[in-house]
Amino acid sequence: MGLSAVPSGPGGDASRTDPAPSVDRVGRDAENAHLAELVARSSRGHDDAFSELYDLTASRIYGLVLRILRSADHAAEVTQEVFVEVWRQSARYAPDKGSVLAWMSPIAHRRAVDRVRSVSSEVARDEHYAVTAVVREADHVWEDVEQKMDIERVRKGMASLTPIQREALGLAYFGGYTQTQVASLLQLPLGTVKTRIRDGLIGLRDALGVEA
Amino acid sequence: MSEIHGAVGAYVLNALDGHDLHEFEAHLADCATCQRKVVEFRQTATELSLLSRTTPPPTLKESVMTAIAGVRVLPQEGAVEADQASMATEAVPHRALTEVLPEPTDELAARRQRRMTRLLSLAVAVVTVVALALGGWVVSLSQRQPPVAVASVTAETELLRAPDLKAYTIDLKDGGKATFIASKSLNRALFSSGNLPVLKEDQTYQLWTLAGPLTAPTRVTPDALVGGGSAAKQWFTGPIAQSDALGISIEKAGGASAPTNVQAQTAF
Repeated sequence: MGLSAVPSGPGGDASRTDPAPSVDRVGRDAENAHLAELVARSSRGHDDAFSELYDLTASRIYGLVLRILRSADHAAEVTQEVFVEVWRQSARYAPDKGSVLAWMSPIAHRRAVDRVRSVSSEVARDEHYAVTAVVREADHVWEDVEQKMDIERVRKGMASLTPIQREALGLAYFGGYTQTQVASLLQLPLGTVKTRIRDGLIGLRDALGVEA
Repeated sequence: MSEIHGAVGAYVLNALDGHDLHEFEAHLADCATCQRKVVEFRQTATELSLLSRTTPPPTLKESVMTAIAGVRVLPQEGAVEADQASMATEAVPHRALTEVLPEPTDELAARRQRRMTRLLSLAVAVVTVVALALGGWVVSLSQRQPPVAVASVTAETELLRAPDLKAYTIDLKDGGKATFIASKSLNRALFSSGNLPVLKEDQTYQLWTLAGPLTAPTRVTPDALVGGGSAAKQWFTGPIAQSDALGISIEKAGGASAPTNVQAQTAF
């Protein structure tokens, strides 16, 4: 694959099966290669590499954890646990199983979800409160997104989904709800929610052109 | 497409729990299609975190760098799998595990367990212990004082600071000791054990919440599953505020809808 950094239009060689690399694509690949190198050096005990890894990924990890937990104290603590875990597991990162962020984010998501489920109070268990809060949050997300060029792509991907797919995906990913809770919040059958979550991910994957 | 494949999206988003999770994990182990989908969907879901990007507080980095200084990087391969394999081996299923288990290689878990044990021993130090004829102990915390001054608020310390905290040390019928700590006002309960015998591969510990009297409960709800070991810890997922007793049993892997081999239960 040539490293032409200029996105070519859809035309060109009709026999081509892979789309031409976009600027984003090339940029993301280079960024990931750098992150992978930092993880590899961290695994050999280089804390300077880990320090840079932190600088490059902390806003993604902390932001995700904070969005799920909605508490700066809990988010800082869980984020620290995540980075300690990333350090411990750094020798086990397998580049062929996805990007560095796709390895770190699930660790963060898992820990944040465990925490939010363990600390859910009566207030959080109030379903009416929960659903209105998440809807407000979702609105906020969309406003926020419009102000940031670099997440325009994801916004478009989310916008390409049906409203139910989008809601189910958002409640599960950012809300930290189980599929049973999502079904209850959206007043839909569990089987429908399961399908919408999967279809939402497929739709998003196709819209984003994500390659594992 | 069979129904189990359809759960892959919910699995990647950590939206499966209990039986659904165990069922899918068992399926995933043998399904190359779902394994590929998991990798793919994780990559996709990760893009979503662009939407929540937030700069962390500047003090967090120093705290992280200090924390990793005391943590060893795990070797490249096999350690986790080897641990599980050695725990599942039939050679040592019923011996006292404190003798045969090596120091846990999961240092984070071990450290957390040690911290938890310290906090618990402080909490337990101020309680009155009342033996009950339930194969366990009920510990009432009538004159509890704040267990320890911890700067950062954690789920565990929040629980330990709860004004209506109750802690119960229990002896399991088939061996092992464990602790339930619970707060109805926080609607939370934690199961913790530094000595939980490792079960056969096709078995699991399962937690339960009960409403009504222990002898004739009006509700028995399956709760989280727990693996054995020297650093077992598990939050209850069920409604603690609406429960009157906690229990633990041994069940087939994947858990049961009603307890069969009850190890201990205690009213609180």
